Amino acid sequence: MILHVDMDAFYASVEVRDRPELAAKPVIVGGRPGSRGVVAAANYVARRFGVHSAMPSATALKLCPEAVILPVRMAYYAEVSRAIRAIFRTFTPVVEPLSLDEAFLDCSASECLFGSSADIGRRIKRTIRDELDLVASVGVAPNKFLAKLASDLDKPDGFVVVQPEGVRAFLDPLPVERLWGVGRVASTRLARLGIRTVGQLRDASSDVLEALFGRAGSHLRELSRGIDHRAVVPDHLAKSISHETTFATDIADREILRARLLELTEQVARRLRRLGLEARTVQVKLRRSDFQTITRAHTLSSPTDMTQEIWQIADQLLRTGLVRGPGPLRLIGVGVSGLEEPAPRQQTLFEDESRARGRRLDAAVDDINGRFGKRALRRAAELKH
Amino acid sequence: MKFVIEKEALLVPLQFVNGAVERRQTLPILSNILMRISAEELTLSATDMEVEMVAKLALAGGEAGDVTVPARKITDICRALPNGAEIAVAVKDGRLSLRSGRSRFNLSILPAEDFPNLEGLVEARDFTIRREQLKRLLERTQFAMAQQDVRYYLNGLLLERTGRRLRAVATDGHRLALCETELDGQGGADFEGVIVPRKGVLELSRLLAEGKDDVRVAIGGQAIRVSGDGVQLTSKLIDGKFPDYTRVVPGPEQCTRRLSTDRELLRQSLSRAAILSNEKYRAVRLCLEGGILRILAHNPEQEEAEEEVEISYEGDTLEVGFNVAYLIDALGAIPSETVRMDLMDGSSSCLIRSADDDGCQYVVMPMRL
Repeated sequence: MILHVDMDAFYASVEVRDRPELAAKPVIVGGRPGSRGVVAAANYVARRFGVHSAMPSATALKLCPEAVILPVRMAYYAEVSRAIRAIFRTFTPVVEPLSLDEAFLDCSASECLFGSSADIGRRIKRTIRDELDLVASVGVAPNKFLAKLASDLDKPDGFVVVQPEGVRAFLDPLPVERLWGVGRVASTRLARLGIRTVGQLRDASSDVLEALFGRAGSHLRELSRGIDHRAVVPDHLAKSISHETTFATDIADREILRARLLELTEQVARRLRRLGLEARTVQVKLRRSDFQTITRAHTLSSPTDMTQEIWQIADQLLRTGLVRGPGPLRLIGVGVSGLEEPAPRQQTLFEDESRARGRRLDAAVDDINGRFGKRALRRAAELKH
Repeated sequence: MKFVIEKEALLVPLQFVNGAVERRQTLPILSNILMRISAEELTLSATDMEVEMVAKLALAGGEAGDVTVPARKITDICRALPNGAEIAVAVKDGRLSLRSGRSRFNLSILPAEDFPNLEGLVEARDFTIRREQLKRLLERTQFAMAQQDVRYYLNGLLLERTGRRLRAVATDGHRLALCETELDGQGGADFEGVIVPRKGVLELSRLLAEGKDDVRVAIGGQAIRVSGDGVQLTSKLIDGKFPDYTRVVPGPEQCTRRLSTDRELLRQSLSRAAILSNEKYRAVRLCLEGGILRILAHNPEQEEAEEEVEISYEGDTLEVGFNVAYLIDALGAIPSETVRMDLMDGSSSCLIRSADDDGCQYVVMPMRL
């Protein structure tokens, strides 16, 4: 069985934990409204007013004028996140973090030590509450897809177990929008066919789905049957590392796209270095307003873990990708694959000065951001909004 | 034009000048050899516009004329004729006819006046050097030249002269070979580093391999010419700036760890350990401690090699990784019985010399394992 552990309103909960007097008030963590800031997280009191993350802070304040706005303390959340992962690892080494506040765990091999996966899920939830004074929602299910659905179902403070024999009963009544990959556009198309629940989708003919969604159609059918074969991959065994971001509003300005892509590239490169790996292939993913997705990849002659070198390729791929699909984008992402342990490195007599400087820069940035949070020191080009 | 010659007399110079001919050519005439005949001399030349090779041989009673013929074909024919065969060569009806015994060949020709040459690139200033000396400079450094490196100025050999000292330097950026020699004569002038391209160096080694006379070396702004014993090689120079190699040759006083040992034993141990090193990276680990050098190698199949060599050693314990091929190359180029290796630490270069400091130094950068 797979566990999906998702912290409830993570950044906001951490802030409220440290200032209990805020507990009953709407709390928003994010940028100031004057500086075009957006909501990074909102506690459940604020959410009742319609506030949600990625919303401009100014809009949030209009919905909820008495909200307390707090600055984002990323380094601190990262520290708390490390403490949470440490709790996970007391139960299983197979932990795949998705972000600071959620992770998949495969506890199959730990059941003989700690009891059933459901028991482990309960103990993790309790330990996080006792030791860190934070609330997690936990889903326990036969695979990642179902576990993630389960953790979300009864949020906040949820705990949902889906047994293999209960998959159908669990899935069938859910609206189709709960499936990965079904957004506004897809759900409208399905609704026209009278398909509103996962159960109805499961009964739909494969031809119809194929005609409507192409290859994604068969994937949808699998999901509607609760099938998902992806394994939980701990970070250090990853075959690829990628980061992507969906914009609050679609972006067409190339310089802003470059700034966001550079930020993601820096994150990918830093993870690569932290894992002590080098990558051979760089891939850029663009999704246009009409959901058309474009990916472009390039393979290097020798693997690298340098931000500068990965960025050079990513920037180039963005350019060629935009030629193919100009116009505003709703999502941008960058990933690296072909990961390998760094080869024995032959030292050189005549150091390539720009490379050497790039390496020193990466080391300094990693060091500073490791101590003060991942956005403490950034490349100026990332600041374009 | 017309001449008669014995097979061996023609084949040797033909094979020599053939070295300049590239398999793939941009100009058809560059796959030809130029033959210039006077009453008592035959001159053969070939070029790829970078390197030009010329050989002269004596003739008895030739009929003057110039022509170019396909280099490989005439060489192959000449080689395949029986030993001692007499060959009659003549131009007839716009073709070159070759007759020997009962064999007849007619080869296509191209006009001699279209044949390019590197004349005019070389200045008159030249100096004489003993063939053995120049040969030694090349032999002991050329293996360290880069091959098809984007840093094009490394794909060659640096030559420079200060007073009577002539120095050759080659490096591929990972290791470096430096060798110098004292000129006997006074001719010629100092010159700053010129870079002879890889092909020119390899062909020059062939030129120096045979014969015993001194050779003349002329160096101009764009080319170098070496001549002697009826053969001559002209090579364009690489127009680029060689890196400041003096900065990367460590002074012996910088090296706090010094070892000396039997060169051949060390070379053999390294060659054996190399068998089980990673085929791609060729990494070996050297562990220096007391009077023992341990050489460790392993490969992705988890096979392992360990060698021990007795050394005389001053300095603290040290572990350092190297590309074993670089060490073997350097040890192979040193003729002496005892070799010295001077090291600083695990991330600095290693200086390798023969025990009787003979003017040759090898610098090898370590590998981070």
